[in-house]
Amino acid sequence: MRRTRVLLAMAGVVLIAVGARKLLDIGSANTVATGRWLIGGVVLHDFVLTPVVLVAGALLVRAAAPWLRRPLIVGSVVLGTVTVVAIPMLGKYGARRDNPTLLDRNYVAGWFVLAAVVTVAVAVAALGARYRDGKRAGAGAARSGPDSAEEESAMGGRAARGPQPS
Amino acid sequence: MKLPAAPRVPRREDLGSPLHSPAVAARVGVWLGACFGIAFLTGLVSHFAQTTPGWLTFPTRPVSLYRVTQGLHVLSGTAAIPLLLVKLWTVYPRFFLRPGPRLRQVVVHALERASVGILVAAAIFELASGLLNSTQWYPWHFGFRRTHYAVGWLAIGALVLHISVKLPVIRTALGLPISADVGDGGAEPPNQPAASGSPEPSETSEQPEPVGISRRSLVRTALAASAVAVVATAGATVPLLRRVSVFGVRSGQGPQGVPINKSALAAHVTDLARHPGYRLTVVNGSRTASLSLDELNAMRQYEYALPISCVEGWSASGMWGGVRIKDLLTLVGAPSDSNLKVVSLQPAGAFAVTHLPSQFTRDDLTLLALRLAGQTLDIDHGYPCRLIAPDRPGVLQTKWVERLEVVA
Repeated sequence: MRRTRVLLAMAGVVLIAVGARKLLDIGSANTVATGRWLIGGVVLHDFVLTPVVLVAGALLVRAAAPWLRRPLIVGSVVLGTVTVVAIPMLGKYGARRDNPTLLDRNYVAGWFVLAAVVTVAVAVAALGARYRDGKRAGAGAARSGPDSAEEESAMGGRAARGPQPS
Repeated sequence: MKLPAAPRVPRREDLGSPLHSPAVAARVGVWLGACFGIAFLTGLVSHFAQTTPGWLTFPTRPVSLYRVTQGLHVLSGTAAIPLLLVKLWTVYPRFFLRPGPRLRQVVVHALERASVGILVAAAIFELASGLLNSTQWYPWHFGFRRTHYAVGWLAIGALVLHISVKLPVIRTALGLPISADVGDGGAEPPNQPAASGSPEPSETSEQPEPVGISRRSLVRTALAASAVAVVATAGATVPLLRRVSVFGVRSGQGPQGVPINKSALAAHVTDLARHPGYRLTVVNGSRTASLSLDELNAMRQYEYALPISCVEGWSASGMWGGVRIKDLLTLVGAPSDSNLKVVSLQPAGAFAVTHLPSQFTRDDLTLLALRLAGQTLDIDHGYPCRLIAPDRPGVLQTKWVERLEVVA
């Protein structure tokens, strides 16, 4: 493994050098403009996006009832990350009046459709979880600690399965 | 999940959720690495398709090869965005990790930080610039094509270096059940072999607050988000998904059923292209042929279904009709496997003049198209005539062609 690691490290350094060389070759003004975006992306992610997500996530977990937590987290991660992907489409920043074939959808309406689908999936999964919890409590199966059965059902509990006879 | 109670810089232990674990990072990382690998390789294909080096002959078959590779390029980048966000969230506590007191530890720590810094910066840069480019949004001052290509090498190099540094942690994490605890001691092997090797691994040694989601659920959620992002955008290149791709940059509609990238208006070519005295010039050294549109239409006509596959990742197939390029070459006595310079009427622009290598020139499917979907070519598709060749990036399918020139 040590050999593999050394070879990988050397290959990595060579590839980085190739990239740096190619970048510098374009010209100094281009390199400065690129550097601004390279650093800007990290700053935006590490000092704005992630703290906001950490705080929002913590609040969400504390505020939500236990049966709602997992579907809510799963739904938020899906909708949140896909919304990040959709920012350039939602804003239509690249749209041009002379080219109606570019960015030619109603993306805001599309976002609401996606949000509605995710919300319904979260609701179904949450109601399913509540139903199962209720049955379990009714059967008197007292449990403590992390629920391994829930862990196994993972994503399945989110949308497709819904309430299941156990 | 704990939050820092007082306004101070958080420490590693503050972010104690068991989700911030190499068990998650390694699993999401495998998928993320695969996306970056595909994006890098297909990026190389696209680079070579656009700037063919002398030692390489870009193939003309299958006709949709570039359509597939470039579609994969953009889709793997899109798929990587949710994965990268989850991955970075998972490893975020390591941001606050402090080196040990020894000089060697400080140096190793600094080197690892630097390599991770390059990786994160390059990865975010590539995904963000690529995503924006797919929507033709350019809010920056660097040249997109060359810069995206150069930083791609930075990203893949930093990724390979990162895998080298993390290999022991990755192997340990992937070899154990996802709920098992794995040390994330960076360059050093995991320093808790007892904990990771125990037959019944606990979620964590010190039970943190309940988080409401298991590690396995988080990994699956990241993959699901990635899949949703792909399906929501892929309609721009996969016709079957057009109706469900609510964020597709193209609906697939356009004049004569094909979208356009650059309009005649944007290319400042409208009056030139509509000029009644238009003639196509074909040049082979001292021999020249000049053809009016009527004369072109009087030549033998062919019709083929070929895709327009743009570097921005969208593509659409059309039924193109026109004359074979090699038939035009015979008019000036040039062999069919000549290299050609294709000159557009557009007065400026990076692709106003393109180079058509001989493997395309001699191909039966390479046309100077006069029609699309049985109608006279729309001006935004390149009226009076455009180049259409199999397996070529859209930017090289020159529109509003005025001159074909044999080059040695």
